[in-house]
Amino acid sequence: MEKEALIAQLKTIVQPYIQDEEAFNNLSENTDFVKDLKINSANLVDVILDLEEVFDILIENADMEKMLSVKAAMDIVNEKLAAK
Amino acid sequence: MIGNDVVDLKVAALESNWMRLGFLDKVFSEEEQEVILNSENKSQMVWLFWSMKEAAYKIYMQQFGVRIFNPKKLRCERHTENKGLVHFNGHKYATKSEITNDFINTWAYLETSVNALIHCFKITDSSYITQSLAAKQKLLKSFSEIKKVSVTDLEIKSSKNNIPRLFYKGYEQRDSFSIAHHGFYVACAISFFSPILKFNTHPLC
Repeated sequence: MEKEALIAQLKTIVQPYIQDEEAFNNLSENTDFVKDLKINSANLVDVILDLEEVFDILIENADMEKMLSVKAAMDIVNEKLAAK
Repeated sequence: MIGNDVVDLKVAALESNWMRLGFLDKVFSEEEQEVILNSENKSQMVWLFWSMKEAAYKIYMQQFGVRIFNPKKLRCERHTENKGLVHFNGHKYATKSEITNDFINTWAYLETSVNALIHCFKITDSSYITQSLAAKQKLLKSFSEIKKVSVTDLEIKSSKNNIPRLFYKGYEQRDSFSIAHHGFYVACAISFFSPILKFNTHPLC
């Protein structure tokens, strides 16, 4: 999936859970879900479940382990989409 | 070493729907799910296990400096109503919890006889920045009172591997601490390095 489009979709997914508006407005590939967006870890589970629903993919716990940044999430989503 | 976590149960009920399809399975082992589903207060058990995992993970981070997100891999054992053990990557972390109708405050520790100090308090402002600041101030105040030094000589800064540490007159100390905040609750836990009144005045390697 095209990078810009994927970032835009990710942004919509994480929006309900963010606790730092400024970091959210400046969201890029390098944004960290916890350190920058201050998403609490229980809501990080929701982000992952939302990603599964929106993209109709299955994210295993081994993949979830690394999903702490926008970049990591994009890599996993693309990998799962390619394997479909 | 010490790690902690606090869950504001009322806010958690609004923010997180643990009954959502897939949620329990991403976070809890089959055994843990069975305990949760068979307990009288399911939400309380969900957040008790959650806080045990978080508190233990915060020690693991201090030990190894590695960030991972896989709560299911941290396995909870409940020994009494408020005491338990978390297994993770071959390590064991003992936990204790303060469980009320409003919040769950859990701390995990490595050493059996630990000089620990635990605080949990409510504040009226639930914004992230205010809470984070309140937690740090409370922590510095406790350090200065217990260690009998001026709070102006103390500082909390991140160490090389991005773990917050206590500094006295610019030198990193060996005391371990952990802060957590959620909803309207702020919690801090300190494990004092012995002897408590002695300061490290050399660079730590």
